[in-house]
Amino acid sequence: MSLLNVENLTLQFDTDEGRITAVDNVSFSLEPGEVMGLVGESGSGKSVTAKSLMKLNAGNGHYTPESKITLHLDDGPVDVMSLKTPREMQVVRGGAISMIFQEPMASFAPALTIGKQMVEQLLIHSDMTKKQAKELSIEMLDRVGISDAATRFGQYAFEMSGGMRQRAMIAMALSTKPKLLIADEPTTALDVTIQAQVIDLMKDLVDEFHMGIIFITHDLGVVAQTADKVAVMYLGRMIEQGPVRDVIRRPQHPYTQGLLDALPKLDDLEAPLTPVAGDIPSPLERPSGCVFHTRCPKIIGDVCKRDVPQWADTGENHRTACHLCAEKGEAA
Amino acid sequence: MLQFGRFVIVRAMMAMTTLIIVSLVVFTLMELVPGDCAERYLAFKNTQGSGISVEDIEIERQRLGLDRPFLVRWSSWIVNAFQGEYGDSCILRVNIAQLLGDKFMLSLAICLAALALAYAIAIPVGIISAASNNPFLNNGLRLFSYLGLAMPNFLLALMIMLVSTIWFGETLTGLFSKEYRDAPWDWDKFVDLLKHAWLPIFILGWSATAFALQTVRALMSDEIGKLYVTAASARGVFGRKLLWRYPARHALGPIVNSLGFDLNRIFNELPIVALILTLTEAGALLIEALARSNDQQLAGAIIFLLTASIVTLNFFTDILLAVIDPRVRKSILR
Repeated sequence: MSLLNVENLTLQFDTDEGRITAVDNVSFSLEPGEVMGLVGESGSGKSVTAKSLMKLNAGNGHYTPESKITLHLDDGPVDVMSLKTPREMQVVRGGAISMIFQEPMASFAPALTIGKQMVEQLLIHSDMTKKQAKELSIEMLDRVGISDAATRFGQYAFEMSGGMRQRAMIAMALSTKPKLLIADEPTTALDVTIQAQVIDLMKDLVDEFHMGIIFITHDLGVVAQTADKVAVMYLGRMIEQGPVRDVIRRPQHPYTQGLLDALPKLDDLEAPLTPVAGDIPSPLERPSGCVFHTRCPKIIGDVCKRDVPQWADTGENHRTACHLCAEKGEAA
Repeated sequence: MLQFGRFVIVRAMMAMTTLIIVSLVVFTLMELVPGDCAERYLAFKNTQGSGISVEDIEIERQRLGLDRPFLVRWSSWIVNAFQGEYGDSCILRVNIAQLLGDKFMLSLAICLAALALAYAIAIPVGIISAASNNPFLNNGLRLFSYLGLAMPNFLLALMIMLVSTIWFGETLTGLFSKEYRDAPWDWDKFVDLLKHAWLPIFILGWSATAFALQTVRALMSDEIGKLYVTAASARGVFGRKLLWRYPARHALGPIVNSLGFDLNRIFNELPIVALILTLTEAGALLIEALARSNDQQLAGAIIFLLTASIVTLNFFTDILLAVIDPRVRKSILR
């Protein structure tokens, strides 16, 4: 059985300028032990989608009634949308789901020691005593490769280096043994060598703890290294998803193709970088039909401006929402 | 703990140094006033009708020790000042410590009470209003704040006096009832003081509250949006624990820092309020010394006492800040 099922997730925010659709009818599922890369430009709705799993989005957000998020835990399924009080939500906030954020510095409270924050979380989510929680926290810090963990336990985030902070963040996120780990651009703020270390660490820990991971990034290189499958988002819509190798070798959606072309190629440094043309439209002026049609190099006519493309099978477990693919599918 | 002890000692020494530098500035300012104490007194005598010669001034100058070099005079002044001894007033020829008596301490107490009142209200209310999105609460607080900020204290004092005189037949002036004014301190006198002092405390406290409330709210709104707060709620922390342990604790640092500044501001407002409420015990003496009689010795003593209070308060807020925020602790000790 899947660990996580997301169906028709739609989230809108009320702002002074009007109602903004941040996530539009997104569906996906995740198996235990599976790593999914969630890819897209800034503003594509990846973080908002991930935060929906913990109902962490701001108070002006509204989920449509069709939105459904189900988490399958050992003692039965949890309907995330029906969680109301903060106490009920603890099951997805730090209980079965943990989240690592992009900036390790900013995600620790500056005036509380790392240890206090770790122990606090363990006391919320387990029956441990303070002493046990402290021991486990130090053990976790040690496990993620922080030397002299007992000393680090009593230190503050500002006393650590960037890489060490992110390791501590990972230790904290994993200490409650979550079933699902959401990593929101966990390596973006780190330099490349540290980035590789942190990614390796995460891969090891996933195998060991056998949990699902949603890895949010705009870096397709990182996805290729870490993920089993990948989902590409644009303007709140999911436009392509499939096994990571297949999607990277045979990208079907023009946007995914554009993202891959925009990557620098180390084997051909002369090749010009080709960014995806145009800018992301303002969320207040969402294009009708296919949301990508305003920037699409392969636009095939009015159908793109009029109709929202349906999912088409474009390979084994590989689906693409593009009129181009739908036509091909029909023709075949 | 040992580290903290060191921090306190370092801070205390810094406060002491500040005070000595301030005393030098104050003393220099006193000296910069044209004419010295001898001239001033004799000039005053002159206006009273007694003829004064240059020799008289010279003798008076020697008697007061004004012919000694500047640094010697400063050091003897500062040594005495730290012992609570400020010499005689230039004009009144009375010992300043006696002249001030309880007055300075009473003024300081009123200001500190107003400050305490302001923050006792502003901190919880500011935090709650930043955390809640209730438009009625927020607009109500805004109105209260703007009134407090925009309305001059003396106007508020006059209005309250007017209202109380018309409706209650009570003038609400002074700090003590007649029978207690010159009585020695005891419990009844203290109760009597409280009965009178609430009004100046309230008047001074209102604008201070309004000011502090805006600061607390702004800092808190800033802090609530930060990532570490989201991260904490993603770990299942919620409610009051989330609010106080995370954003509130971090928003309070700059607020603690502003206490010294606020005390200064309240103290500056005190003389006007004191004048209207005829609190002869407070504030008015400074105006008297500075503006009317140019009594540099008295003015210097009051200014020194005031700065000493502010430096002392700053010392305590620094300690408090270090307790709240580890970054402050470490930055000093490194």
